[in-house]
Amino acid sequence: MSDTLVEIENLRIAFPREGGMSDAVRGVSLSLGREKLGIVGESGSGKSLTGRALLGVLPSYARISVDKMVFDGIDLTAASPKLRRSLRGGRMGMILQDPKFSLNPVMRVGLQIVEAIRIGDKKLPKREAFKQALAVLEAVHIRDPERVFSLYPHELSGGMGQRVMIAMMVVREPDLLIADEPTSALDVTVQTQVLSILDELVTRRGMGLIFISHDLRLVSRFCDRVIVMYAGQIVETLRADRLNEATHPYTRGLLACLPTIDGPLDPLPVLQRQASWLEARP
Amino acid sequence: MIQVDHLTVNFGPSVAVRDVSFSVTQGESFGLVGESGSGKSTILRTIMGLNPDWSGSIKIDGQDTKSTSRTDLARRAQMVFQDPYASLHPRYVIGQAIAEPMRINKLPDPEKRTVELLDLIGLPGQFRFRFPHELSGGQRQRVAIARALALNPKILLLDEPTSALDVSIQAEILNLLNQLRRELNLTFVIVSHDLAVISYMCDRLMVMRNAEAVETLSREQLRSRDIAQSYTRELIAAS
Repeated sequence: MSDTLVEIENLRIAFPREGGMSDAVRGVSLSLGREKLGIVGESGSGKSLTGRALLGVLPSYARISVDKMVFDGIDLTAASPKLRRSLRGGRMGMILQDPKFSLNPVMRVGLQIVEAIRIGDKKLPKREAFKQALAVLEAVHIRDPERVFSLYPHELSGGMGQRVMIAMMVVREPDLLIADEPTSALDVTVQTQVLSILDELVTRRGMGLIFISHDLRLVSRFCDRVIVMYAGQIVETLRADRLNEATHPYTRGLLACLPTIDGPLDPLPVLQRQASWLEARP
Repeated sequence: MIQVDHLTVNFGPSVAVRDVSFSVTQGESFGLVGESGSGKSTILRTIMGLNPDWSGSIKIDGQDTKSTSRTDLARRAQMVFQDPYASLHPRYVIGQAIAEPMRINKLPDPEKRTVELLDLIGLPGQFRFRFPHELSGGQRQRVAIARALALNPKILLLDEPTSALDVSIQAEILNLLNQLRRELNLTFVIVSHDLAVISYMCDRLMVMRNAEAVETLSREQLRSRDIAQSYTRELIAAS
């Protein structure tokens, strides 16, 4: 297995709009090892689209062009839809923002995990799949897995739902996990808990993680490296522990505009967007 | 300005708010902070008369809300909701949305006032012909604030006003709210799960957990960590 898990070169995504195409992602290149990579940006910066392009779940009307997109030695640009489908869920998993919308509302959560397991291994006996589902619920620190197994999504709290989602995604031990705002819908106290579970699983199982978020501080606490995106381009790549050394005015602006508990009460500095940030970068 | 005494709110058999009391003086900004399900939004909704089943007393401007008519209450206090995507009528243009409370209350010249309000919250007057889907999240939240100000209320109840927005836009909205509070001498009650936002925006705050008030602190107490309850410390550590 190579050290580089994912390599993307010059990814472009555009959507048809009235009178032409509008570019959503404009030349993103990145590589990921077995590490935690954060992608940060505002809504519309193209961060989620980048993750979705890697999975191959963009809507059919999206125009994608990419020079190179490789996942663990597999050329994704040449891969058949069937192969990509088998990668999804199996070797690549995705955790979405809101468990309320991502779980099937009329199916017990345990059975949803069992379904995920048996899609991966159709010959696995039911009893064995049930056992695995209970074990993975325990692995995401759910105290009473038997009880939670037979609950419906609406009976779960947000944090619990998100842990079920994570359980469903890690149960097949993917090599790559894409987490798209996995904690934005959660309370701060629960957020820390969910993040540490995610951290534990990713580290222990040696996965690569792409963590998409709009929260720069959260990402920097949690990831190894951070990519900052603005208007479909990468403006800066940083080591997470060196966030304060960010040089791009956009990154600095994002850091400055957050209020803090002990911060000054003067008006918050507002991002002054500059047209030059939109220009193509070398 | 607002006096809440021994407020208890029931949702069927479960208790959403249990025996909560607080008061907010004229021109003050008061924060309610806690996890989801702690009852902080329920308090706001109950003040506005959106929950029928409650006991205790709520007084606004010395007047009991139980004996205040809905329109009268709406002229005194207005609410801004969390999600500007959900709180604006998708088939009303912005001008209609802002003028609606004025029409209901039969105020004179709503068109002129709409343009004034748009100017106040920093959007060009031309925006009154646009639909909500043509606006960004931050612009929509500005419109929701303009609509809340349409009846010249003295009190704004803000339920997570920026948690659906990007951090860069959050700064703009928080600055706008502070500026409006100064200029119009408004009283704020702000609900948020973000202690940093509350510490920045509010003079005093109440921490809530499991339908009950944990403690009430001034901003100075929060900042000097003059805190009695361990739960509040946990919240600070998590932020």
